[in-house]
Amino acid sequence: MPTMTDLAAVAPEIILTLTAGLLLLVEAFAPGLRRSASLITVIAALVAAWSRLAFALPGEVWGGMLSIDRVAAYVDLYILVALVLTAAMAGPYLRRNDCERGEFYTLLLLATVGAMVMASSVDALSLFLGLELLSIPLYVLNAYLRKTAVSVEAGLKYFVVGAFASAFVVYGIALLYGVTGTTNLVAMGRSVVAADAVSPLLAVGLAMVVGALGFKLALVPFHAWAPDVYQGSPTPVTAFLSVVPKGAALVALLRLVDGMDLLHVSPNWVVVASVIAVASMTLGNVVAIVQRDVKRMLAYSGIAHMGYAMVAVIVAGREGGSAVLVYLAAYTLMNIGAFATLALMSERENEPTLMSDLAGQGWIRPVAAAALTLCLVSLAGVPPLFGFTGKFVVFRAAVNNGFVWLAVVGVINSLISAFYYLRVVYMMYMQPLPRREPVFQPSWLITGVATIAAVGVLILGIYPVPILDAAHEAILDLVR
Amino acid sequence: MFESSLLSFLTLGPAVAAVVLLLLPDRKPAMHRWIALGVSVAGFLLSLILWFRFDADNPGFQFVEQISWIPQFGISYHVGVDGISLLLVLLTTLLVPVVILASWTSIDRHVKAFHIALMLLTTGMLGAFVALDLFLFYIFWELMLIPMYFIIGVWGGPRRIYAAVKFVLFTMAGSLFMLLAILYMAWFAHSEVGIWTYDYISLAAIAPQLEMTGLWSPQALVFLAFALAFAIKVPMFPFHTWLPDAHVEAPTGGSIILAGVLLKLGTYGFIRFNRAMLPDAWDYFVPLIMVLAVIGIIYGALVALVQPDIKKLVAYSSVSHMGYVMLGLAAGTVASTEGAVLQMISHGLSTGALFLLVGVVYERRHTRLISDYGGIAGVVPVYTGVFLLVTLSSIGLPGLNGFIGEFLILAGTWQVAPMAAVFAGLGIILGAVYMLWMFQRVFWNPLVHEENRSLSDMNLRELLAVLPLLVLIVWIGIHPTTFLSPVEAAVRALLGS
Repeated sequence: MPTMTDLAAVAPEIILTLTAGLLLLVEAFAPGLRRSASLITVIAALVAAWSRLAFALPGEVWGGMLSIDRVAAYVDLYILVALVLTAAMAGPYLRRNDCERGEFYTLLLLATVGAMVMASSVDALSLFLGLELLSIPLYVLNAYLRKTAVSVEAGLKYFVVGAFASAFVVYGIALLYGVTGTTNLVAMGRSVVAADAVSPLLAVGLAMVVGALGFKLALVPFHAWAPDVYQGSPTPVTAFLSVVPKGAALVALLRLVDGMDLLHVSPNWVVVASVIAVASMTLGNVVAIVQRDVKRMLAYSGIAHMGYAMVAVIVAGREGGSAVLVYLAAYTLMNIGAFATLALMSERENEPTLMSDLAGQGWIRPVAAAALTLCLVSLAGVPPLFGFTGKFVVFRAAVNNGFVWLAVVGVINSLISAFYYLRVVYMMYMQPLPRREPVFQPSWLITGVATIAAVGVLILGIYPVPILDAAHEAILDLVR
Repeated sequence: MFESSLLSFLTLGPAVAAVVLLLLPDRKPAMHRWIALGVSVAGFLLSLILWFRFDADNPGFQFVEQISWIPQFGISYHVGVDGISLLLVLLTTLLVPVVILASWTSIDRHVKAFHIALMLLTTGMLGAFVALDLFLFYIFWELMLIPMYFIIGVWGGPRRIYAAVKFVLFTMAGSLFMLLAILYMAWFAHSEVGIWTYDYISLAAIAPQLEMTGLWSPQALVFLAFALAFAIKVPMFPFHTWLPDAHVEAPTGGSIILAGVLLKLGTYGFIRFNRAMLPDAWDYFVPLIMVLAVIGIIYGALVALVQPDIKKLVAYSSVSHMGYVMLGLAAGTVASTEGAVLQMISHGLSTGALFLLVGVVYERRHTRLISDYGGIAGVVPVYTGVFLLVTLSSIGLPGLNGFIGEFLILAGTWQVAPMAAVFAGLGIILGAVYMLWMFQRVFWNPLVHEENRSLSDMNLRELLAVLPLLVLIVWIGIHPTTFLSPVEAAVRALLGS
């Protein structure tokens, strides 16, 4: 029987799941209320965030399946922020495309629960459970605009690749279990450290689990799905997809690296991970240069950004871990802000997000364009914006721990990235406005989401102390 | 209280003004111009208080303010000025109102956005001059990037996009490596004394202990990382290629700021970081800097000689003139270093004035080609007189500002590297040739273009904009001591003599 502690520890997940069920009922029995589904989701997310802050963090619960510690709380909060912003922009977006249904929010809520479970898992089985609960709703959400071919294509692609990743995880876990006799990550780590030699089966198992997380993170060479899926999905879903699964997977990776003590298991880990990080940064940034579609460009930039985050994962320890957490927070705000403005600026039914469609927008939609500019410049890592803080802590961790060369690769990549981020800015402000009437009226709600994200990027860039503190505190629970 | 936050008012005031401008409706361009002008003039008056209350005998930092900012990393908001940065702060606060006046009618689109960008740029420039924390310095340094990108890219000439992107990429290429060097220095300081700090004064005390055994030793690499950022900004040969594009394509106001202040940030960085923090590496690299400086002087002058476009000619003359500053720093005598600092100010005044004057005729004729003018001395006598004065100042006529700086630099350099002084002296001759030849072709040759007959002379606003520059050009030329006395203590402290 679960104890009260167990239940209180997962109160946010319970709240979100109940809301998901409620919204299904609303859709079935009171379809007239579906306009408020977005608002209900936002409220549920806020209540969940409150409950995460209000209840004590007990550490390991549910018989050692989940660890509701400060890392979990930190990641949960930023996942919930992403949920609030996504749900808020989804309402007007879906109404505009004439497909607002309660299921959308149900799926969004379930995916959020999955991400939260994944981020707090310290057991291979709950990790897999969380991964599936996160992925399956997303397959549907990607294909949500079912009359649009690219959206369906995105759903199918993400599904096929995701199914592969899931199979990898299960098979990897099976191998790890076979070698160590346990599914608990920490116990696995202990038995590995106790054993003298590393079994090849263990290495294969680990590689499969890490590879599957690499799929979720869209790291090279597991990245090929990202551009098509980003481009095809409804923009709010892309915003969600670009941050929430990545956050959950990064934390799972951190738990794996520190819990299993990967450095001890295999000295090759650093080599392999460095190759992945460098390849992700470089390929992501170089290929982003030639993109004509902003969503595709952001997909490649996302690949590159996960490469930067990998640098911090490689550094590991307290410094690397807290750098990952700070970077995640920055990346979340910037990306959601960027996608929100894209949702705002797209003017026709079939989602044009070509760069040339943004020409001249800077002068007719000053608020949205300024928000997008701030988010993109922040993604490029220009101070005093939050994205710079993220890069600063990552590079600082690398330099302090003897990975200067990774930091060098990182800064060269930042330079490349400035080129394509600024091209969007150039389009918006330095190109003449094409003569075309906008089809959609700009929605104040999406404008609000974009503005909140952009202002957040600015304020947290100037004064990052609260986030740095939170990340620093949180990582103490992970790295002992 | 007031005195200790004077620098913060001065630095952050324009950023606050930018936010205010942002919130005001953009229907009334005149309002934005007047607000920006008011703020910048107020900034200049505030900096005058700085000037009068500055203790010239104190070589240390004055008007210091320090507030803990990011305690986790030992980063604080720490600002202060010494004699060198004081002059540069004054130059900046003087040039900003000049820029606003010079852009009064030529910036007619997106007036609000222009002044927001200019105000943010002002915060970045002043902040970089007064920052005494390396993290803070980096923030201000990079803060200049995006406003300048907009100023060139939105209000610039036909090839503005190319120029703007080139400017941003060049600048970022340098500054990102500087970021790594800053991180490395902080790590080194932590491993030496056990505390995290990015504070300039603490790091300047520890950084000289960085191992310096050759090209691949830590101090040399840190030096190169800083030097790259600053050499691009100065710009030193061969990192100068962004400059002609940026200067030519930028609107008049942007060119004045670029030449007047932004280039000075490069030489200021060399003084503040490379020279003061990494003395061993400085000694190691001095021959290289000297050679590049002399190449820059001669090369810039030769290329300026053949330019058909007045603005491009002035742009290349900057490469040449900034070479003198680097030469003076590299020579490292008290005279040459003081000369270098004064030359920074002089060049800011003369070149700022030249760009302003080029903008005056460009606004009337929409061409900057020398061959489109000729013989206009009789048509626009006031303009001709002003232009002549500035030209003479630029070529270093005794009695005007350019002479003092160049003389001190050459005299100081002669003591340590006579050959360098000889070649640099050649640059002065070339400077006279290209400037006077240009002047002759624009103002004196027969008047062949009929359009030029109806050219109107400078109006009151334009005269008002250039007047402060002219006053200082003469003042520095006649009584340089006014400006050298606050510099001397700081320079002696820098050189350790």
